[in-house]
Amino acid sequence: MFSAPDSYPIDLPTFHSEINLPYTLTPGRAAGIFLAEVKNRRIVASRFASGQVVAPAQDFSSTNGEEPEAFVEAPQTGVLTAFTRVDGHVIGFIRLDGCDNDFAHRILAELDDIAIGQRVEAEWDDSVEQSVLAIKGFRIAPDAPVGTVKPLETMEEPLGVIPYAMKLDYEHAYGPYYGRMFDEIRENGRFMGVRSPGSDIALLPPREIDDVTHGRTGTWKACADTGTIRGCSIINMEVYGQTRKVPYVYAEIVLDGASTRMIHVIEIDSLEEAKERIKPGTRVRAVWTQGERQGRVSDIERFEVIEG
Amino acid sequence: MALSKVGVVATAQTEFRPAWNNAQHIDLISSVVTSVFKGSGLTIDDVDFIIDSGSDVLDGRSISNCGFLGALGAHHKEEARVEEDGLWAALYGVNKIRAGSSSVGLIVAYSKPSESNVDLYWNAQVEPFYQRPVGFGQRAANGIMAQRYLADSGLSSRDLADLVADRWAAAAASGKVSIDALPDADAVLAAKEGAAPLTELMFARPVDGAVAVLIAREDIARRVSRNPAFITGMGTSMDTHSVAAREAGRLSSAATAAAMAYRNAGWTSADADIAEISGSSVIGELLAIEALGLAAAGKGLSATRDGKVAINRSGGALPADPIMATGLVRLAEASRQLSQPETSSGGAPSRAIVHGAGGVGMQNNCVFTLEV
Repeated sequence: MFSAPDSYPIDLPTFHSEINLPYTLTPGRAAGIFLAEVKNRRIVASRFASGQVVAPAQDFSSTNGEEPEAFVEAPQTGVLTAFTRVDGHVIGFIRLDGCDNDFAHRILAELDDIAIGQRVEAEWDDSVEQSVLAIKGFRIAPDAPVGTVKPLETMEEPLGVIPYAMKLDYEHAYGPYYGRMFDEIRENGRFMGVRSPGSDIALLPPREIDDVTHGRTGTWKACADTGTIRGCSIINMEVYGQTRKVPYVYAEIVLDGASTRMIHVIEIDSLEEAKERIKPGTRVRAVWTQGERQGRVSDIERFEVIEG
Repeated sequence: MALSKVGVVATAQTEFRPAWNNAQHIDLISSVVTSVFKGSGLTIDDVDFIIDSGSDVLDGRSISNCGFLGALGAHHKEEARVEEDGLWAALYGVNKIRAGSSSVGLIVAYSKPSESNVDLYWNAQVEPFYQRPVGFGQRAANGIMAQRYLADSGLSSRDLADLVADRWAAAAASGKVSIDALPDADAVLAAKEGAAPLTELMFARPVDGAVAVLIAREDIARRVSRNPAFITGMGTSMDTHSVAAREAGRLSSAATAAAMAYRNAGWTSADADIAEISGSSVIGELLAIEALGLAAAGKGLSATRDGKVAINRSGGALPADPIMATGLVRLAEASRQLSQPETSSGGAPSRAIVHGAGGVGMQNNCVFTLEV
């Protein structure tokens, strides 16, 4: 390392963070019809002008981008062409009878009991709808007759949207500079920055390398918990992910002794009054939370305007 | 006007560790960006542009490079992010210099998978209607590739474990990778199942770290660096997203990328002295060796032994896979082996093949040729 991390051993825990993203996935026509048709116990496939049949159905060929000429019904039997086991689940590639691609799905058998070339057939799960998991998996069926691809005369309307959520957990390391900054907030209730190269003004949050000059930063410096608003916006619209009730003020505050803007909030009662009082240049002070500090920016509950 | 030739002036990398618990991304990044200039005579002021690679999903923030600009030295500079392995960032940078629009570029890639869940990172790349629900992801793709490869090649799990153990030993000898307990082949075989027939240790191990590579137009590279390695060929190719629809038993897109790079270079794999190759698993590495023309199909393992081309003297990606930086680390390793043969005991190689990969089941591949 350039200098720091190994020379400042720290025993801070990591900072836990979660990202929860809600989605409404749009499956499109092919996957939409496939997912709508599972309730009819049908496996929808795409047939291309070349005569190739691909299951599950696709709106485009994954190899040449061609659009299918028709949706068809694939048989529920086929041959195992490859397999593995992940976290106890056997997953395989299945070449459905009459189809020209491999369908990745669960294999309902123990790894030791299966082999390439074995006949398999779909097993349905009545409790699942609108999902590829309505097919619970494929079970070994040595005597299953060879099925054929059939035309699909009528079909369900494609599903429009599918609700989906992705949740991601993180354990962020603080590093030596953020580590000390949050330590100081927790232990001493003060904001410590580091001096810009060749200057007495502090960078907050502190860092090893100055963003502008890419030179090494200087010594530590305590900043005040009072400062000046340098940019702000009154938030009066509710949006997903907000942690406070509107209205409030989002403010970029330069603490006394620092050169960098810190983002925090100012609570307000009246929009009209806020418009008058809160603007660039307004002096503010931190209002610390009651009780034990956690070593987080949220140890400051909010900022408030310094009257007069 | 002819295209400019581009050389690697200097490289820097952090140690690769399972977890850099006491460093943030910016600490790792600023470390390599500061170190890469040492002894070169150049400074950040000489850099015309910065191209960086990392993953927003792994980093846990959107457009994460925005928060890392200062550490990257990119303040008020031209900066671009490549959301793919750092070898593609280098490809982008080399082309900028070749085209004549710039003369010195800094390529940076970093990774902190320890802060995240690597399985979820790969799941996020998988098709959400048909594949994600059944649990088909990076591990399943590699397991299926391995099951097919073993059946076709006649190799055993023990053969794979021997290669994995060799790779870890090479990485330990390099001193650039943190390894608590060096696994032998028995330990590789005894590790928990990753995706049958692969054990967890047969997969590339995610590690934290950063790498920086300083590249420059030929005249500057020759002035600054004693013996710069020049990038004489580059190729890149992406396969279809559906793993099931790809050619079985062969990394076709790696072969296409290699053909492109060798055509530029005017030589082929048989003429190379060294190769630094990525692989998401030991099977991925063997398939890449074969796709790059270093061995016939199913014979990748013997190419790692016969010594004609020294493959992955650094240990490669199996003991140290800083996801999104792995291919750029291969470039850094290969360029050092060419430019500073004194620092590694492998004679005086003059030609290297470098390979990077991205995506589930190594969908995307990039190949460079280097020469001194």
